[in-house]
Amino acid sequence: MKGIAEIHDFVQSLLTRIGDDGPLANQDSLLVSGRLQSIDAVEIVVFLEENFAIDFAEIGFDREQIDSINAIYALTQGAGNRN
Amino acid sequence: MAAQTKSHESMSSRWAEFRLIPRIESDPWTVSFAQTTLGKAAMLAAFGGGILVMMRDPLAWLALMLGLTLITFMPARRRLILAVAPILLVVLQTFWKPLLLGLNLAVIALGIFLYWCTMRWPKSRFGQRPVAFLLGGFSALILLACAAAPQSLPYSILWDLVGLMASYIWFIAYAVSDRNSQPARDLTLELASFHPVWGFTNTPFPKGAAYLRRIEAQNPEQLAIVQLKGLKLLAWTILLAVFQFFWFRFFHGYLHIPTSTEALTLSVHGTPVAWHLRWESLILAFFELILSISIMGHRIIAGCRMAGFNALRNTYRPLSSTTIAEFFNRFYYYFKELLVDLFFYPVFLRYWKGHRRLRLAFATFAAAFFGNAFYHFTRDWQMIRDHGIWVAIQDFRAYLCYCAILAAGLCVSQLRKRGPMPTGFVRGRLVPAMGVCLFYCLLNVFDSGVQGYPLISHFRYLASLFFIHF
Repeated sequence: MKGIAEIHDFVQSLLTRIGDDGPLANQDSLLVSGRLQSIDAVEIVVFLEENFAIDFAEIGFDREQIDSINAIYALTQGAGNRN
Repeated sequence: MAAQTKSHESMSSRWAEFRLIPRIESDPWTVSFAQTTLGKAAMLAAFGGGILVMMRDPLAWLALMLGLTLITFMPARRRLILAVAPILLVVLQTFWKPLLLGLNLAVIALGIFLYWCTMRWPKSRFGQRPVAFLLGGFSALILLACAAAPQSLPYSILWDLVGLMASYIWFIAYAVSDRNSQPARDLTLELASFHPVWGFTNTPFPKGAAYLRRIEAQNPEQLAIVQLKGLKLLAWTILLAVFQFFWFRFFHGYLHIPTSTEALTLSVHGTPVAWHLRWESLILAFFELILSISIMGHRIIAGCRMAGFNALRNTYRPLSSTTIAEFFNRFYYYFKELLVDLFFYPVFLRYWKGHRRLRLAFATFAAAFFGNAFYHFTRDWQMIRDHGIWVAIQDFRAYLCYCAILAAGLCVSQLRKRGPMPTGFVRGRLVPAMGVCLFYCLLNVFDSGVQGYPLISHFRYLASLFFIHF
């Protein structure tokens, strides 16, 4: 099971790719704040599907679930509990 | 030499810091002042005066300013005020037409009922695919209205209902698609988000109630900051509107360059304007579209911010986009969000999961082609009523072509492998940005604002720009 550090690294790599080198805290808003866009949210979805076997079609999808590193981590912990 | 470099860097830094409208929301004294009674009154007066020149409907202006005044002085009652205001406005606008008023209130009640159904039965077939059911039902209503005998009472009622549903459909769609968000403790923001008091088009600004809950100001300081940002955005909107006025006077009045619609019409009728004028009208149309969408979106978002919601701008530096997808995101953000939330994600999360590229392409087509076409076809429902569904579809072919090319462009833009960005302003920013602008300029040939010309006319016009005549 990957931890919060891996999620942080992944999100940081997305931000770096779009030229956002600003500081990134685990509670920072990613999508509502506009730092990441819909296409980046797609990358997060695929990352979660591939690494944590999360099926959003089954559990339902809302961007708030992946709006911060903490939220993503909480989601992965929920997925872990379900599995 | 070192001194020269330092001076150059200092100038660049000062230029980067320069703002036409100062960042008043980051000035502590201004933020404190905006929380006082006098500060609030001053902000409201400035906003009311500014937005008066941009709103044509005095009743809507009055409703907006009354709502904003109450919200500013009673922020704890914000949601209730926002929920009541649009219903009150509907009653005031249609009380002398009881049937229309009744239908209008019935559509609002239907929206709330459907939202309740999705929350109550999330695992039902409707709860799993609420938007598909909603759009399917709306399509069935249009077909039913088409089948009604003209000038009969059912015909009149059904088309009134179609018109009302067309103006509410995307607001309701957001409400039912909010089923995965935190459950609402009350329905006030759901009601507020159906035709919010700060303004709307068929596209909800800014999205649905779940989003409003996330961006709502939580204390007096946040409210003051958000309202100052709203005031600033309105000031920018007024500057853009003045610029737009002189732009039209200069290019179309003084230089007599035809609009792109005029140029296309003349071409279709066999009297095309000169080659350079065709290009000029196309390029001007591209910038004019950006200007008009910016002004419209900024005005609405400025009102939304004044109501205490820190919404992102609808248009944000579109000309700096270096990819087609980035431009689509920056140009008309809330329409793109509508397509992404209601079409892209539902398809992306369900289909072709084992094929990453195909999955992305399929979802992009579902949004940029199907969603985009459905939105515009039903938005122009009067065409269907007046000419019948088959003629309306035939007249819509050019826009279908527009959607197909746009979807293909977005697919390529998203699927292309992102290598390291070329460095330097010219190769890294200017050349890609000009390529993006050229793509959207040419795409606008299929979205000229005139419907009814055969598709071949649009292709002929496009080809004539490159000296190809057929």
